[in-house]
Amino acid sequence: MNIGKQLKEGLLTQNPVLVQMLGLCSTMAITTSIMNGLGMGVSVLIILTAANVVISAIRKIVPDKIRIAMFIVVIAGFVTCVDLLLQAFFESIAASLGVFIPLIVVNCIILGRAESFSYKNGIGASFFDGIFQGLGYTAVLLAMCFIRELLGAGTLAGFRIIPEQFPIGILTLPVGGFLVLGCLIAAMQWALSKSKEGK
Amino acid sequence: MSTKSKETVQMDPAYIIKLTVTLFVTCCVVAAALGGVNAVTEEKIDDINRANTVAAMKAVVADPDNTTFSDELPLTDEMTAAAGSVALDSVYEAQVGGAGAGYAIKVVASGSQGKIEMMVGVDGEGTVTGVSIVKNAETAGIGSKVMTNMPTASGVGVLSQFEGKSAADGVLTVGANVDAISGATVSTRGVTNGVNAALAVAGVMG
Repeated sequence: MNIGKQLKEGLLTQNPVLVQMLGLCSTMAITTSIMNGLGMGVSVLIILTAANVVISAIRKIVPDKIRIAMFIVVIAGFVTCVDLLLQAFFESIAASLGVFIPLIVVNCIILGRAESFSYKNGIGASFFDGIFQGLGYTAVLLAMCFIRELLGAGTLAGFRIIPEQFPIGILTLPVGGFLVLGCLIAAMQWALSKSKEGK
Repeated sequence: MSTKSKETVQMDPAYIIKLTVTLFVTCCVVAAALGGVNAVTEEKIDDINRANTVAAMKAVVADPDNTTFSDELPLTDEMTAAAGSVALDSVYEAQVGGAGAGYAIKVVASGSQGKIEMMVGVDGEGTVTGVSIVKNAETAGIGSKVMTNMPTASGVGVLSQFEGKSAADGVLTVGANVDAISGATVSTRGVTNGVNAALAVAGVMG
């Protein structure tokens, strides 16, 4: 178990969005404001960590043939919990994220980590994997939100930074999501290849 | 001979039963846990929804401080038919001092990015007293201007312009007797359809 390496993988070298290319749909759909990004990122982080721990704990008794079904049941359970709790206690976040919270069930980051990590590793390592992969996802969401909210709507967390007539409205549309995500992926790949050359 | 051997299907009944039982037990455990969470949150969520509905209704009546609302009225086929292509969600009677003073009508119209849930207040004379948006998914920065009642070119809020309109104005149409927000014509049209439907529903209710 190597926490430092896992942290670096989650945030950079194995970043779930920019390197593994998982969870792109939700990344593009909800990153129009910082609060949305934070709410979604933290929800995924919690669900991912909880699902990782439980799946790791039951991995010895899960028959191989039905493991995907078992994963989905566990994940759906946690997602529904978070959905209900958000609706009850963080109503404004639940309202702005809408259907994307229930859709975390089919977010491939969570199923992907269950299959590739927590099904094969111990509880402790899976716990940290959930935290770090969740942080990596949240970091990308926040970067996307920052760019799209600031340049697209001219606000940050709802406060107006750029006067209303100047923002580039297209950035808040789906096409803007593709553009920003593409640029981020390119920048990440460039940085990774640069750091490889340096070694 | 191919070196790849196809995975043989395990037909051993004991194994199949084991799979079934494992999955069944997991589902039961998860369901029980969810039942627990639901017991904690259910009442709170209901309260929030009820409060949101009341707040939306208060926003669309002429005299919010003195108005109370009936329970949801039963919807008749006639009312649903009057709403036409717009889905009629619920109707509440607004009461001032116990007497009927019009209706708060919740309709679901379609905007540019999905459904717009909106509340329309109609007084006893069939005149619109207010329009408010309950839930929408319109594009931030474009369609959202309609949802937040930004002023149109004429200076009146895009939702406020419906106040005072009635069936006597005929079918409300963007461009004819309704002003759109520049760039957000589709969202404005959605809201307009919702108001038309609400007026039609109020019409058949008398």
